[in-house]
Amino acid sequence: MSAAATVPGIGRPRLGKALPSALWALLLLTPAFVSLASVSFYPIVNGLYLSLTNTSLITQENEFSGFANYVQLWGDAQFWNAWWHTMWFTAASTILETVIGLGMALILCEAFKGRGLVRAAMLVPWAMPTVVTSKMFGWLFDGQNGIINYILLHAGLIDQNINWYGSPDTAMTTIIIADVWKTTPFMALLLLTGLQTVPNSLIEAARMDGAKGWITFWYIRLPLLMPTLLIAGLFRALDAFRVFDLVYVLTGGGPADSTETLSTLSYKVLFSTLQFGYGSAVSTAMFVTEGIIALVFCLYLIRQIRRAQ
Amino acid sequence: MTDIKKGPVSGSKSAAHVTIADRRQFLIGSAGLLGAATLGMGTGLSVRRARAQSRAEISFASAAFFGKETFGDLIKAFNESQDRVLVKNIELPPPSSSTEVYQGLVQQLARRTGTPDVFSQDVIWIAGFAAAGWALPLDEYFPADKRSAYFTGTLNACTYGGKLTALPWFMDSGMFYYRKDVLDKHGGKVPDNWADMATIAAAAQKAGDVDFGYLWQGKQAEVLVCDAVEIITSNNGAILAPDGKSSQINQKAAVEAIQFLHDTIAKTKISPQDVLSWDEEPSRQPFTSGKAMFMRNWSYVYPIAQDAKASQVVDKVGVAPLPSFPGGKSAACLGGYQLGVNANSKQREAAIELLTWLSSTETQHRIALNFGLAPTRPALFQDEQIKKEQPFMASLEKVFTGATARPITPEYAKVTLALQSGISKALVSGNVQAEMDALSDQINKIVG
Repeated sequence: MSAAATVPGIGRPRLGKALPSALWALLLLTPAFVSLASVSFYPIVNGLYLSLTNTSLITQENEFSGFANYVQLWGDAQFWNAWWHTMWFTAASTILETVIGLGMALILCEAFKGRGLVRAAMLVPWAMPTVVTSKMFGWLFDGQNGIINYILLHAGLIDQNINWYGSPDTAMTTIIIADVWKTTPFMALLLLTGLQTVPNSLIEAARMDGAKGWITFWYIRLPLLMPTLLIAGLFRALDAFRVFDLVYVLTGGGPADSTETLSTLSYKVLFSTLQFGYGSAVSTAMFVTEGIIALVFCLYLIRQIRRAQ
Repeated sequence: MTDIKKGPVSGSKSAAHVTIADRRQFLIGSAGLLGAATLGMGTGLSVRRARAQSRAEISFASAAFFGKETFGDLIKAFNESQDRVLVKNIELPPPSSSTEVYQGLVQQLARRTGTPDVFSQDVIWIAGFAAAGWALPLDEYFPADKRSAYFTGTLNACTYGGKLTALPWFMDSGMFYYRKDVLDKHGGKVPDNWADMATIAAAAQKAGDVDFGYLWQGKQAEVLVCDAVEIITSNNGAILAPDGKSSQINQKAAVEAIQFLHDTIAKTKISPQDVLSWDEEPSRQPFTSGKAMFMRNWSYVYPIAQDAKASQVVDKVGVAPLPSFPGGKSAACLGGYQLGVNANSKQREAAIELLTWLSSTETQHRIALNFGLAPTRPALFQDEQIKKEQPFMASLEKVFTGATARPITPEYAKVTLALQSGISKALVSGNVQAEMDALSDQINKIVG
């Protein structure tokens, strides 16, 4: 294509002459557009439409009901309960993962023996299927035979076994710990690539001026890393927002709804009770919330970039 | 341009490469075809085809159970046993993925095309399928005298709006496991009421014979509803009123029962707090490793408890009906799969024939022996062969007599989610009355 563009008219097939060049481009784009639209755009629009109907496989209703689902959603304590849990999970896990991931990235940025091996080994938790991670943490934090209880008990930090997943006070925290363990390496990797784009000359210049490690980090590395940090944070927040596997495997939303998230709630409404209309409204509400999160991140990012210029 | 030139050359090359192998394959293939044709003519294939056409063709869909054989083998046996009906077996996911089985069935039934003609269904779906008009009422085919051969509890679960919409097939229910050796030290009598159970459990725990007095399942999941149905019914309470249109879960009987479950953790301390996050397997493990005195669970636990490789309590485990409250009767939550006929089936007579055969004494006998699934006909529990080959199953008749259905309502899927969340909240917080009031309002909104 690029060759054809620079030397117009040469080597171009006959068909091209018959079609205006703009149309030709459109024609070539059509397959990609059709496939994207059918797998991405159509489901979204259909989901939006379903959320405005009372579709249910069980009652066999399928009529347009306007915003009735959203009115119901607004007054649904279950939904708001799940919404707050999801927000809490997203905020807590994203912040922890960013902070710890940054620390890991700073270490991995330094030259030391066996760095390549450590970098590869670090990615193991992230490469593991989440269901496996969930089962593993299920055993680690098991209330009776879990190693975490064993260690804490023998270290004298607790005086009796804690039932991590059976108590509303600890269940969500435990799930956040599992998520942090699993996804921090991914964050570290993203931030590491960001750190490597910071020119060494800047750091050397700072060192010549007598800046210590902390100062270099605070005034040179961190500001230059900020765009990467925000984009990585955005990725992570959007990903964390749709947490499903960990909750589904470890607690099923319990005890007492204390770990119910929007994904598990919408799964239950959609596939256990088969209320496709109301379930789609829950999913749409999720979609809107994610949109707002993305918007906040983007506005902040734009401000950062503007300030840098 | 050069690319275009290259293309056909390499293409013809590769074509030349395969010819020999190809020709050989073609020869083998045609020889096989020829042979088949001659064989077909010789053995009267045309006759067989003619007979197949006169047979009514129907389909059967079920969750895939297996033991010494599969449901596919069962259907094959039916096809060979007569020449009027030819059944195609549609295999759904295994019962452990019951949500997927449910979705698969609903999607097919909602199309109203008549496929599958006959299906098996978990007891909790029966009302929903009946209310949607997907399940054919079976009253005219199975009048009262034919029904008396089944357990009453199972029949109740198969009845919706006064009509029999499903036919009992095989069943399971909650039951009370106890440690014979420990019980001998503490009186030797299997407790038949909850208070006695708690006293013995606490004593055994205090004496250091076991770590846990009583294990049950408190995870926010379907099994919690089963545990709740059992204990509430054993206090003469109910989750829904008999007409299924209003909640009774905030009445005294139900509140007392849930309070008892909460007390096992908080007051009598015969259950570890962990039961709040345990479903069947996590509660089974401490029991079969000898750490617990009593346990509520399903029938699958017994074979594991008797397996020396997986259990430390071989020959030390007994099974009884669950205890009850004073004035109440022992209740066991009913599980298992029952049969239904698609209301849109175009081959009704054939479907009924298959249904009758599947639920017959002979087939239930075969299922009991080959799948280990308990019959819904009490008479079979006296069968000598079953007594010999499945002695544990034969001893369950008394337990199954108390089998109680979970709330019968077409809105069960919504009701169970509300129950799981509400009961879990009550058990965790201990504000049983307040949580049951809130739950009751919620259920009334769903079923009212």
